[in-house]
Amino acid sequence: MVFRAVIDADVLKNSIEAISTLVDEATFKLSPGGISLKAVDPANVAMVSFELTSDAFDSYESTEGEIGLDLLKLVDVLGMADRSDNVGLELNETTHKLTITMRGLSYTLSLLDPSSIRKEPKVPSLDLPARVTLNGNELRRAVKAAEKVSDHMALGVDGDVFFMEAKGDTDQVRLELAKDELIHLEASGPARSLFSLDYLSDMSKALGKVNEITVCLGKDYPIKIDFMMADGKGKVGYLLAPRIESE
Amino acid sequence: MKFIEFAETCEKLEGITSNLEMTRIVSQLLQDTDELEIVTHFIMGRIFPAWSAEELGMGPSLLYDAIAMATGADKGRIKEVVRQRGDVGLACEELCSRRVQRPLFSGELTVEQVYRNFESIAQAGGKGSQKRKFRMLADLFGSAKPKEARYIARLVLEELRIGVGEGTVRDAIARAFDVSADLVERGYMLTNDLGLVAATAKEGAEGLEQLGIEPGKPIKMMLAQVAESMEGAIEEMEKAAIEWKYDGARMQIHKMDGEVQLYSRKLENVTKSLPDIVNLIKKDVTFKRAILDGEVIAIGEDGKPRPFQDILRRFRRKYDVEQMVKEIPFHLSLFDVLYDGQSLIDFPLSERRKILEKSLRAKHSSKIIVAPQIVTSDLTVADGIYQEALSAGHEGVMIKNPKSAYTPGKRGKNWLKIKPVMETLDLAVIGAEWGEGRRANLIGSYLLACRDVATGELLGIGRVGTGITDEQLAELTELFKALIVSEIGKEIDLKPEIVFEIAYEEIQKSPNYESGFALRFPRLISVRSDKSVGEADSMQRVRELYEKQKGRGTTREVREAP
Repeated sequence: MVFRAVIDADVLKNSIEAISTLVDEATFKLSPGGISLKAVDPANVAMVSFELTSDAFDSYESTEGEIGLDLLKLVDVLGMADRSDNVGLELNETTHKLTITMRGLSYTLSLLDPSSIRKEPKVPSLDLPARVTLNGNELRRAVKAAEKVSDHMALGVDGDVFFMEAKGDTDQVRLELAKDELIHLEASGPARSLFSLDYLSDMSKALGKVNEITVCLGKDYPIKIDFMMADGKGKVGYLLAPRIESE
Repeated sequence: MKFIEFAETCEKLEGITSNLEMTRIVSQLLQDTDELEIVTHFIMGRIFPAWSAEELGMGPSLLYDAIAMATGADKGRIKEVVRQRGDVGLACEELCSRRVQRPLFSGELTVEQVYRNFESIAQAGGKGSQKRKFRMLADLFGSAKPKEARYIARLVLEELRIGVGEGTVRDAIARAFDVSADLVERGYMLTNDLGLVAATAKEGAEGLEQLGIEPGKPIKMMLAQVAESMEGAIEEMEKAAIEWKYDGARMQIHKMDGEVQLYSRKLENVTKSLPDIVNLIKKDVTFKRAILDGEVIAIGEDGKPRPFQDILRRFRRKYDVEQMVKEIPFHLSLFDVLYDGQSLIDFPLSERRKILEKSLRAKHSSKIIVAPQIVTSDLTVADGIYQEALSAGHEGVMIKNPKSAYTPGKRGKNWLKIKPVMETLDLAVIGAEWGEGRRANLIGSYLLACRDVATGELLGIGRVGTGITDEQLAELTELFKALIVSEIGKEIDLKPEIVFEIAYEEIQKSPNYESGFALRFPRLISVRSDKSVGEADSMQRVRELYEKQKGRGTTREVREAP
């Protein structure tokens, strides 16, 4: 197995952080076309899928294969790189290690055995009636506001309005965005589902940095949030199971 | 095996009191499963074998975090349900039947998967490990059917509440694989692992017979009974081997060429805390591979043994170990050898003793000795040794039968101890009560229990609230806070983990406690951190002490007679 690549530190950091917010360890699929991953969080409530094509790299060479990585360590290591640095990645298959180089510094990271990592899930096919495109920061703002009153929030589409709301014991928060305040909205019917803020908050760290995210919703159905990165050469998708409305 | 099959068997067992019927059901379960080792441990409410150093490291609090994450119920609600149901397992079952958070994918849990998650939880360490632990558990609750949740929760707390103890499992293994219960028992005492014994028994009796001891795997220690009197003890043995009963901590030493492992009385691996002892063994023990039995003693400046608590401080120390070596230096007295390249446990003590006397280099450190032993039938000689031991600050003497084999895990008549003090009881702490007034924030009294050996259940025997200083009260409250399972009013239900040494005036019959006995004037002597709940004194021992005290004419019934 061969894997040798050079990539902009910022792109790599953002990619890994978008994943590590849900899972600590993951198996990446390597191929000549790029790298990808699908992983479910340990509580089986959320999933992240990720793709980065070979042209997102400054140089890229890989055969088919897979490697298991400790993402927390990787994030830690990448913390030593400056935004403008280039990061070199090279797999040594015999020692089972990944060498990470940046401006003269080289760090050798032990790989994890992919069989010890939770298996890649089969992605359920979902038919979600509402689809909204908006600035990621709007969602992050709503999550921050909701956290002040509750541990869960509802997201939905009502006619031409995308709404996010949270109710606490005494207080409540509601954010509405009409169609003309959004980048795009289409819905074949009303949608509303309830989600744990624990997860939305973790996800919104990555979402807040993105100008355009697409949110797909149904009625008491999982939420799907997709966005592009690295000038369209990278793709991240989150899937989060709903909570059941009480009473 | 699907986990639901295991859960359903547990539920069936919960409704049964007949020991015979229980044995039949457990033996059927053992025959049906392919994960024999795991199921054998699970059915006893354990996850790992008794000798293993692995543990989940999860208290009720992390368990609640996991159930909160998996079901979406908030912590307040969880505590409320636990309080209503009075049992964590039943509460988790209810919460899972009315879960708020849906899982993304659902699948059927298997026994193997449950075990694998437990294993990952036990192995998680370092930064962020608490979060990972409860997420791994949340993963199980996420897919669990309500009934499965009941037993997952109870496994985490290591108390299944189905009344299956070691005795039942031993008989069930014998029945399931058609081997003798004695052979199963022997295998258990040697390996300390009923799962391994079950798997071996499945292959046939020959394998069981070949199970033996080897350095690196701790063996249950042979224990001593209290002698009625020195005279009776020596008379019965004709010639008796007399040794000091040291005021220290029991230690089992395993030497494997250049490697040494040390195990405490509970068979906890304490090697890392005692580098001084490791060095002594490496330098002065001549055998290449050996298992030795002895006692470590902390000698104070006055030449007398220091309090037991000081020894435990060293056992528990993980950091600055070298500092503790200087602060509390240890001596080691060896009194038995179980292995010197071959198993010696079936050799008579007199033979083992000859081998033990050759175990040390001629010029060995003064910190390691072979404990002096005198074989005699002369009562005055024996009594002299006893007085000597007491004036040196030790506990008393051991009287051993020179013809006896080493019987792991047994408390028999071949080793007897003589101590001047009244026998205390080591009891499990299963509940407690908050204090009143000035002590409202402190736990004021503790509910004590002895052990039913057959079922493994803990049976109440009394409450203790005296013998505890204000300072200790606060310390104990801190210690027990982490073990609180539920609270109703002032009453606290505790995860049984701590053992108290309790002194008392007498044992009385009483309908007020499950054991049928109560203690008169109980008072706390010490927290037996070296003992696990599984080693708390048994019902049978309480009954024996009760009978014995009747014989001494000190019970009230006798005193009231004219």
